[in-house]
Amino acid sequence: MKKLLLFLLTLTTVAVLVACTANEDAGQEPDDAGAEETEIEQAEDESASGEKILNLNNSVEPTSLDPSIGFDEVSWIPLNNLMEGLTRLDQDSVAAPGVAEDWEISEDGLTYTFHLREDANWSNGDPVVAEDFVYAWKYMLAPETASAAAFLGYFIKGGEAYNNGEGSADDVAVTAIDEKTLEVVLEAPAGFFLDVLTNPAFFPINKKIAEENPNWHAEAESFVANGPFMLESWEHDSEMVFAKNSEYWDVDAVKLDKIHWAMVNDTNTQYQMFETGELDTASIPPELSDDLIDGDNVYIGNYGGLEFFRFNVNEEPFQNKNIRKAFAYAVNRQEIADFVVKTGVEPAYGFVSPGFTTPSGGDFRDENGDLVSFDTEYAKKLLEEGMAEEGYTELPPIVLSYNTSDTNKAVAETMQSMLSENLGIDVTLENQEWNVFSEAQQNLELQFSRSSFINDYSDPVNFLESFITDSYMNRTGWSNAEYDELIEKGKSETDEEKRYEYLYEAERLLAEEMIVMPIRYYNTVVLQADGVEGILRHPVGYFDLKYADKN
Amino acid sequence: MLKYIFKRFGIMLVTLWIIITLTFILMINVPGSPFNSDQSSNETIQANLEAHYNLDEPYHIQYLLYLKSIVTFDFGPSIKQPNQSVNDLLGRGFPISFELGMMTIIVAVISGIILGIIASLKHNGFIDYLAMGLAVLGISIPNFILATLLIQQIAVNLEILPTATWSSPAHMILPVTALATGPMAIIARLTRSTMLEVLTQDYIKMAKAKGLSPWKIVFKHALRNALMPVVTIMGTLLAGILTGTFVIEQIFAIPGMGKYFVESINQRDYPVIMGTTVFYSAFLILMLFLVDIAYGILDPRIKFHKKGGE
Repeated sequence: MKKLLLFLLTLTTVAVLVACTANEDAGQEPDDAGAEETEIEQAEDESASGEKILNLNNSVEPTSLDPSIGFDEVSWIPLNNLMEGLTRLDQDSVAAPGVAEDWEISEDGLTYTFHLREDANWSNGDPVVAEDFVYAWKYMLAPETASAAAFLGYFIKGGEAYNNGEGSADDVAVTAIDEKTLEVVLEAPAGFFLDVLTNPAFFPINKKIAEENPNWHAEAESFVANGPFMLESWEHDSEMVFAKNSEYWDVDAVKLDKIHWAMVNDTNTQYQMFETGELDTASIPPELSDDLIDGDNVYIGNYGGLEFFRFNVNEEPFQNKNIRKAFAYAVNRQEIADFVVKTGVEPAYGFVSPGFTTPSGGDFRDENGDLVSFDTEYAKKLLEEGMAEEGYTELPPIVLSYNTSDTNKAVAETMQSMLSENLGIDVTLENQEWNVFSEAQQNLELQFSRSSFINDYSDPVNFLESFITDSYMNRTGWSNAEYDELIEKGKSETDEEKRYEYLYEAERLLAEEMIVMPIRYYNTVVLQADGVEGILRHPVGYFDLKYADKN
Repeated sequence: MLKYIFKRFGIMLVTLWIIITLTFILMINVPGSPFNSDQSSNETIQANLEAHYNLDEPYHIQYLLYLKSIVTFDFGPSIKQPNQSVNDLLGRGFPISFELGMMTIIVAVISGIILGIIASLKHNGFIDYLAMGLAVLGISIPNFILATLLIQQIAVNLEILPTATWSSPAHMILPVTALATGPMAIIARLTRSTMLEVLTQDYIKMAKAKGLSPWKIVFKHALRNALMPVVTIMGTLLAGILTGTFVIEQIFAIPGMGKYFVESINQRDYPVIMGTTVFYSAFLILMLFLVDIAYGILDPRIKFHKKGGE
């Protein structure tokens, strides 16, 4: 009997403990849940009374809302709507006035003088001043900050030296002339600097707030915004609510009253939430691509990015240009895009993805045309020539590596069969977990490997620059003085028309040498609920809700 | 008893230390770094990042830093979410996973035991086959499939319950159901088989002969002995479920801690790997300890002062 009593006692203790934790939670949860429910009720009431709330999904918690630290899409998307840099991408994804009303560029293209808007304010009412930019940019470049975005600041004179520890903050050539005037001196002319400035890494930081509380960006209570929206609440890992920022200079253009962000990382779940109306936009789960892609409510747009394969020029047989080209011409990209990757992606016959506007108003991709095609006869001829040049009677073994994922596997297997069918080459496939793969690729240990590139800013040079000698992004072992020079000119030429000429030429040279072979461009495919409009989706990966509307 | 607890505690600390050291050795030997990404970068930035997180220190210093962080229970900031400390992540995720896990356990244990008892009492009858058929289904259908099915049928087609997230009691029904089905089935089968064994014992016949009511026989005499195997599996089951399940939390977008176990390793987020490993190991060891104590209470033959039990 005693034993039974003891048993019962333990049971009750456990039960009480559980109840306690439940109560503790209950202490918060009902509060939260209650608040939320009332919020939802309110939301419903308000939407009845005309309040516009957009329900979106950020998939995961933003890495950081510190503009210098959050250097990825999941941070950029919220940041780009909470804040604003000197320039902001407009309807055509071109840099247009943001916090800066106008600017002057010196003759030599080195000195930029920005005039900040008198009515540009922070959400707490403070004016946005030039000093806020100086503070933010030097903070980004400080080695202690360890910002992954710091390389974007190397365009500024003294930026690289400060970041690698050789220079000091005082040598970074960004100065506040007066409260509303900012002067920046560049290391070399860069015709796309205004585009670079639209990247969240260049957003201002409210100096007064940040000096008081270095963690101002970690919670909704302390976050100060200067963009179309402000951070009303933020439940980490769970949801964020943005509200219209009444201090924003262009608040009249903002149509939405609130944005509710869920963080749902499962593609099927977010699609099901879209189906039930809990989300206003969603991505298409790959398995449902065939059924959904042709629907009326599907938005398909450019996304600055390329999937490609790198040849390691230090490994046989890829030291030979013709053999590299033979591989590139033997692959049917259209089939890969249409039947393997799906979701409406476009095959890549060049390197720079569509969506970059040239000075003459055209598209970079159209202007420079197709640089590679699917031509089995030509591929066979190239292979023969290449093998003769190297004296091969038989090709050395080829290993194609990719980082583990279902899509990558499907693409690799398709390429394997195409190379076997069209060139008679047996390719061995090998997959590795992302980090292992990425390190091996960086160390030039892979012979023929998958890669992808996503643009950081809206200029073709961003991608092309990867392949200059000894670049951290090169990862092929390739070095070509002519290419290096073309890229140098393609960055610093002040005449935009000429600058683009250099970039066209650089891209053609890359195709002639075929250091990497393009496969397909990335794209943005979004399901959008009826009545949702005005979301600007930029090819650099983040979208703008400033003009978005929901009816 | 007290001596036993102290001894167990000592063994627990040594076990933890071994786990931590092994994790550390594995961690530094796995290729890759937390800073690999598709995005542009350069050597300076990589060096700055490594310096920022002390990854440029020699391994023995890093090891000591880890040990220090564990002793002071401050694992520092996550590398992938630099504004959050590992303590924040666990402190926020664990209560939610615990809540989900506790509900799951309660549902699974209660319904599992009831199903098991019913099946054993109606041995080889229709109800037995029905209950065991359900149990086999429960064991064989993985919870992520069940979860997707539940969402599609109940949330999307019938629109009775919300699809995902963790914001009201109604949101909890689907994930708890999906998660509880498997353990429930295991418990039901275990209970049934041990109940069948116990019900043929002499003392049960004796109880019947005494003319006790069937309910009294089941609950007072049979069940207590039949529960021993269930208690045995409870330790591992509890630790696994209470610290979060990656798949269910991912599907239902529940902000628990399950995802950190998987994602931290994929992302090489060293502080989070260490934090979750220590937390989970400590929790598992504690649960196994509680199970041992529960044995003693349920089975008087087990005495703690004598090594090896009986």
